[in-house]
Amino acid sequence: MDRRENQSSEGETARILVEFLEVAINSIVFLKGVYPSGAFERRRYMNMVVQRARHPQLRDYIHSTVSTLLPFIQKGLVERVAVIFFNTDCIPVERFVFKLIVNQSYGSKLEEADLEFSLRAFLIKLSVSESLTKALPRDCRWEIIAYFRSLPQASMSKDSELWTPTDTRQWQQPPILIPIKSMSSEPLCLQLYLEHPSSSEPKP
Amino acid sequence: MSLDSSRSANSSGGQKSKRSFNNSTSSNPSNYSNGNNNKKAKPSQKTLGAASWGANSLSPSRSSFRNAPFSDFGSYMMEKNRKLHDQFDAEASTSSHSGSDSGKPIFHGISIFVDGFTIPSSQDLRGYMLKHGGRFENYFSRRRVTHIICSNLPDSKLKNLRSFSGGLPVVKPLWILDSVVANKLLSWVPYQLDQLANNQPRLSAFFAPKSSSVSKDVKPEGSSFKGGTSTEAYFSDLGESSEHSRQISRETDNLVNRNSNASLVTEPTSSCGRPFEVTMEKPNNIDADDERSVRNELQTSPYQPSALATSNFVENHDMTGSPSSTVSGLSNHRHSTIEDPNFVENYFKNSRLHFIGTWRNRYHKRFSSLSNGFNSRSSNIKASAQKTAIVHVDMDCFFVSVVIRDRPELKDKPVAVCHSDNPKGTAEISSANYPARDYGIRAGMFVRDAKARCPHLIIFPYNFVAYEEVADQFYNILHKHCNKVQAVSCDEAFLDFTGSVEDPQILASRIRKEVIETTRCTASAGIAGNMLMARLATRTAKPDGQFFIPPERVDDHLSQLPIKALPGIGHVLEEKLKKQNVWTCGQLSMISKESLQKDFGMKTGEMLWDYSRGVDDRSVGVIQVSKSICAEVNWGVRFKDVKDFFQSQNFLSNLCKEVSLRLQGCGVQGRTFTLKIKKRRKDAEEPIKYMGCGDCENLSHSTTVPVATDDVEVLQRISKQLFGYFHLDVKEIRGIGLQVSRLESEGSLKQGLERNSLKSWLTSAAASTEEACNNSCTALVRSDTDCEGQGNEILGKICASSVGPSIEMDNNISNGEAFLNQVSEPPPLCHLDKEVLESLPPEIFSELNDIYSGKLIDLITKSKGKSENISSSSSNSHVQVEGAMKTGHMVLHSDPFLQHEIPVENRHIAMEDQAVLVSGAESNNVVLPASGIQKIDLMPLSLSQVDATVLQQLPVEVKADILQLLPAHRRQDLSSNALSGPSKETPLELLGTKTAEDHSVSKGCVSENNLWAGTPLQWVVKFKVSNCLILNVLAEMYYELGSTGTLSAILQRAISLPKHQLDANRDSWDEATYNLCDLLKQYIKRKIEFDIEEIYICFCLLRRFAMKSEVFLQVYTNVFPYLQASVGENYGGNLHMSLKN
Repeated sequence: MDRRENQSSEGETARILVEFLEVAINSIVFLKGVYPSGAFERRRYMNMVVQRARHPQLRDYIHSTVSTLLPFIQKGLVERVAVIFFNTDCIPVERFVFKLIVNQSYGSKLEEADLEFSLRAFLIKLSVSESLTKALPRDCRWEIIAYFRSLPQASMSKDSELWTPTDTRQWQQPPILIPIKSMSSEPLCLQLYLEHPSSSEPKP
Repeated sequence: MSLDSSRSANSSGGQKSKRSFNNSTSSNPSNYSNGNNNKKAKPSQKTLGAASWGANSLSPSRSSFRNAPFSDFGSYMMEKNRKLHDQFDAEASTSSHSGSDSGKPIFHGISIFVDGFTIPSSQDLRGYMLKHGGRFENYFSRRRVTHIICSNLPDSKLKNLRSFSGGLPVVKPLWILDSVVANKLLSWVPYQLDQLANNQPRLSAFFAPKSSSVSKDVKPEGSSFKGGTSTEAYFSDLGESSEHSRQISRETDNLVNRNSNASLVTEPTSSCGRPFEVTMEKPNNIDADDERSVRNELQTSPYQPSALATSNFVENHDMTGSPSSTVSGLSNHRHSTIEDPNFVENYFKNSRLHFIGTWRNRYHKRFSSLSNGFNSRSSNIKASAQKTAIVHVDMDCFFVSVVIRDRPELKDKPVAVCHSDNPKGTAEISSANYPARDYGIRAGMFVRDAKARCPHLIIFPYNFVAYEEVADQFYNILHKHCNKVQAVSCDEAFLDFTGSVEDPQILASRIRKEVIETTRCTASAGIAGNMLMARLATRTAKPDGQFFIPPERVDDHLSQLPIKALPGIGHVLEEKLKKQNVWTCGQLSMISKESLQKDFGMKTGEMLWDYSRGVDDRSVGVIQVSKSICAEVNWGVRFKDVKDFFQSQNFLSNLCKEVSLRLQGCGVQGRTFTLKIKKRRKDAEEPIKYMGCGDCENLSHSTTVPVATDDVEVLQRISKQLFGYFHLDVKEIRGIGLQVSRLESEGSLKQGLERNSLKSWLTSAAASTEEACNNSCTALVRSDTDCEGQGNEILGKICASSVGPSIEMDNNISNGEAFLNQVSEPPPLCHLDKEVLESLPPEIFSELNDIYSGKLIDLITKSKGKSENISSSSSNSHVQVEGAMKTGHMVLHSDPFLQHEIPVENRHIAMEDQAVLVSGAESNNVVLPASGIQKIDLMPLSLSQVDATVLQQLPVEVKADILQLLPAHRRQDLSSNALSGPSKETPLELLGTKTAEDHSVSKGCVSENNLWAGTPLQWVVKFKVSNCLILNVLAEMYYELGSTGTLSAILQRAISLPKHQLDANRDSWDEATYNLCDLLKQYIKRKIEFDIEEIYICFCLLRRFAMKSEVFLQVYTNVFPYLQASVGENYGGNLHMSLKN
C-alpha cells in the first residue's frame, strides 16, 4: 500500500522529468541554431514560451529518445543525459549535461507545483544562456547520450533495445564546466551544466 | 422472534452438552437437520470444527436468507455472530453457576478461535473456555480473537501466515489443557505451533540457561565447574527469587531443550552443557568480574543477599521470563534480542568474528616477547640479501577440524560448523571440511541449502575454548622452530627461514608433523621466495600437504592461476578485470603498469602489476599496527519503538563498554569516534537469515576530540551524542557499530590530566580523615597502579588513578562492598608492597588474604616472620570491617568522577555523608583557586552542574573565590541559587571539572565538525562572537537575510560593503582566513553533489571580493584548488573560472 503510493509518486517525478527533458532538449537545439529557426514553433509549456521542433522526424527523435528513458529513470539507473554537438571530425565541441539524482525512497506526496516552479527556472536560464555557449562550426552533428549507472539488462523492456552502447569520442583533458542551473529539492535533484573542451585540449 | 425461547433451549442444551458431551456427539449426529434456530442453538453438540461447520451450514442458511429480513450475507453473519455470542454468554453464566469445581476464570480476557481438526475437539475447547472464563469465537475476527488454536496448518496457511492469523499467536490446544491442569494461565509461547516456532537458538538460550540448565547439567559431573556451582549456591541463597526462577527455568528448559536438541544433536547428551559452561568459566569479561565479586561476596557474607547479585538475577529473569509476560499477544521474535540488557556482551561472547578479531590481541600478549625479539634482527638479515625462504603455514579448515579432532570417525564425513542447526536452516555455515566441500558446501551458505546438497551433513556449534587452545599450541610450535613468525590469523602464519641452514622444506614438514601430533589437526604449508608465493603455494598444497615453488617456477605457477587467487583481488576488482578480459595472472601480467595504475589507482595498480609477476617485497614480521578499533553488532538488533529509547541507550552503553575494553586491551586510546548505523531500507523485508540485518543503508557520523581517550564514560557520552545526530526511528536500526580511530598509545596523557585534578586532593583529604579506609584504599589501589606500571608516591594520586579501573568495571556498582570487591582484582603477589601489607588492619589483611587464597600469609611470614597479626585476624569483628567499607563508600561518593557511575538511588546516601563531603570541600580551600586560574573554562558551564548544597557548606572565602571565577553572567544565578538552599534537587557535580571540560570539548568538536549544521548554523554562532570584523559582518548578513540565505545570497549582499569592512587587520588575519576557508570548504563539500550552480556563483562573487580585499584573495587562492578537485571528483571536469573582467 505504502509502497505503491511511493511508486506512483516516483513515477510521477520521472514522468515530469522526462517531459521537461524533451522540452529542454528542444530548446537547446533551438538555442544552438543547428536548424533554421523556421524549423521550430512557439509552444507553451509550464506557462512559458518554448520552442518545439516542427519537423516530425526531429521531433520524433527527441521525443522517442527521451521517453524510452522513462523506465530507466524510474529505476534510478540514469545518471546523466547529455546533448552533444560534434564537429565534422566527430569530436565533441560542446556538451549540455543534465545530471539527475532521483530520490528513490522519497515517501511523501509529490508537490507537482513546486517541481514545475523549479523546472521553469531551468528553461528561463537556458533561454538566456546563449552567451555562455560556443559558436558551432558548420556541418555539425548532435546527439543525445544517456549515462547509466549500470548497463541495463537487455531483457528489461522492448524500449531498451532502442538504446545502444556507444563509443563517443571523448576529450583527452578534463573539460571546463559552466554551471547553468541547479535545483536540489526532494525528490529530484537536477543540474544543467555546459562542458567545453579545456584550453589545453589538443586541437585536431 | 423466538430469541428468548431459543436461548433457554440453548442454555439447557449447553449445560447438558458440557456434562455428557461425548454421548451427545455420538448419539445425536442428526441434530443438524433441525430448524434454523435449533441448529444455531446446538453448535456445541458437534465434533466438527467451527470453520467446517460454518461451511456446512451454508445451504440451510440460504433458506433463512429468504425468510429473514437480511439484506445481504454480511448482515446475516453479523446477526449470527451476535446470537452465538449471546448463547455463549448465557452458557458461560450458567456453567459458572452450576459448575462447583470451576475456579477463578483463568482464561479471562482470552478469546480463542479453533482452526481445523484438533485434539481435543473444538467443542471440548469451547467447553473449557466456557468453564474458565474465556471466550470462544466460531468465526475468525481479528478484533475479537486473541489466540488461534490449531494442531496443524496446511502449507498454504503457513506460507501466508500473516494473512491467515492476522499476527495473532497460533498455539497448540495443549496450551488450554495444561493451563486448565495448572489452574492458571500459562505462557503460550512454549505451545506455539511447531511449524511456526523458531527453533533456532535464541540469544536468551545462549546464556539464560546459564542459571538453570548449566547448573543442572554440571551437577552430575562433579564440582569442577566453579561458575556453575557458585551460581547454584547462589540460587539457594536467594530464597525469595528462587521460586520464581524455578518456574521460569521450567519454561526456558522447554526452549532450551528444544534448542539444544536441535543444535547439539550429534553430541553425546552428557556434554550438552558444555558451551554454556565455557562462557561461565572464561574470565575475560566484565561478566567474569561480576562473578568474582559475587563469589567474594558469598565468601564474606554468605547470608546476606547482596544487592548486586539480585539485580543481576532480576535481569536474567526479565529476559528468560519474558515469554510469560507476553500473553498480551506479541510475537516472541523480539524477545530474543535487545530486551536482554546484556545483549552486547553475550553477542560478542558467541561471535566467531569476535573471536578471530580479538585473537590477535591475545596473541600479542602471549607472544609479544618472542615477536619483539626478532624484529630488530630481521632488518639485519634483510640487509645481507640472502636467498629468502618463506613458509606459509595454514591449518586445514580450522574451525571444523578442531571441533572434530576427538572424533576420528567423523574425519571423512561432511562436517560443518555453524552457530545453530535448526530445521529452518537459516543459519550460515561458517566453515566446512573437505568432504563437505566436495558437495559444494561453502562458508556463508545457509544450512538449509547445504543440507539440500548434502542431507547427511553433520553440523557442530563453535567451541571457542578449543580454538584458543589449538591456536596457542599451533603458535607454540611455530615459535619453537622459527624466530620470525608473523601471525596472520589464529590458524595461519608466515615463517621466515631466511638464513637458516636447514632446508625449509624439511623444516616445514617437521612443523606440520608436530602440529598434527600436538593438535590432532592437519596443517598445510607453502614454501617460496616471498610471502605471496608462499601463500599461493599453500593453496596448491591444501589439504594436508606442502608445496614448494622455487623461483624459477614462479612464472609457470602464475601463468594459469585465476586472478581471484591473488590476495587483494576481491569480487569488485575481479569483475572489473574480467570485463577487460583478464582471467589469469598470465593475462594480467601482459598489461602495462601504467594502464593498471590508471584504471585502478596508483596503489592497487602497482599491487596488481607486482603480484601478477610474483613480486612481493613485504617482509615477514611486519605487524600492522591497527589503525582503528571497532565493535559492531549487526545481528539480532531490534528495538521495539521510540519508547525503548532507554533500551537503545543501554545497548549503546554496552557497546561502548566493549569498545573501551578493546581499547584498553590493546593499550591505546583514540581521538576520532565514528558511530555506524545500519538502517533497514525502506522496502526491505525481514531478512532470510534469522535476526540478520538484511538489506540496509549504512549511515555514519563521526567526531574528533582533542584528547585521546579510552574511558567508558567519554565513549558513552560521545556515542550518545553521535546517535542523536541520526534522528532515526530506532525500529529501523539493524546494526550499530562504534569505531575508534586516530589511535595513540596510552601513557603520557593519562598522567597529566588526572594528576593535577582537584579530585586527587579531595580523596587524599578524605583519606586522611579515616585511617582504616586510608589503608585499605591504598593497599588495593596501590597494587592496581603497580600493575599498570605507573609510578606513585602521593596517596591522592594513587586514588586518582584508581578511577580508571573502577570505571571499566561495570555500571552495576550498587554498593560500596561491591565496589571494593571489584577494585580488588588481585594483582600478582610480587607487585604487592610488603610494608603496606603489614601496616594493614588485620581485618582487611585477612580479606586480602582470602582473595589471594592464603598466599599472602606465606608471603609475609617468609619475608618477616611476623605472624601475630594474621592469627588474630581470623577472628574478625565484622562491624569494623563494615566501618571500613562504609568509609570507602564515602570516599567513593566524594569523588566527582564516580558520581556518574552511581545509580540515582545512591545519591541521597551521598547526601547523608555530608561529613565527608565537607571535609573534602574544606580541602578545596587550597586547590580550587589554583586550578581554577589555570583553566577558567573548566568551571561548571551551567548552574545545573553546581551543587548548591555543597556550595553552601563551603567557607565564605572559598565560595567567593568560586563565584569570582565564574564568568559574570553565570555568577548571578549561581549565588542566588546557593542562597536559596538545598531544597532544590541538583546533581552532585559541583566539582565536576571533568564534566565541564568534557562539555566544552564536545562543544568544540561539534563546531569543528559541521559549520553548516544546527539552527542557527554553527558558523554564524562562531562568526558572531569572533573579534574579527569581516566575520561579524557575515554573521550579521545571515540574520538580515532571515536566517535562510544561501552563502551566495550572503555574499551578494556583502558585495556592496565598503572596502575597509571587507579586509582584516594583521591581528585577526589568520583567524579570518582560517575560518573563511573552513566555511567554504565545508560548503563545497555540502553542496558539490547537488548544487554546483550555487558554488559557482559563490566563487564568482568571491573572485570579485578578492579584487578588493587581501583576505579574500588569500581565501580564494587557498580554497580554489580544493574546489576544482571537488568538481573534478564529482563531474570529471574543472569549473570555468577564467578571469574575464
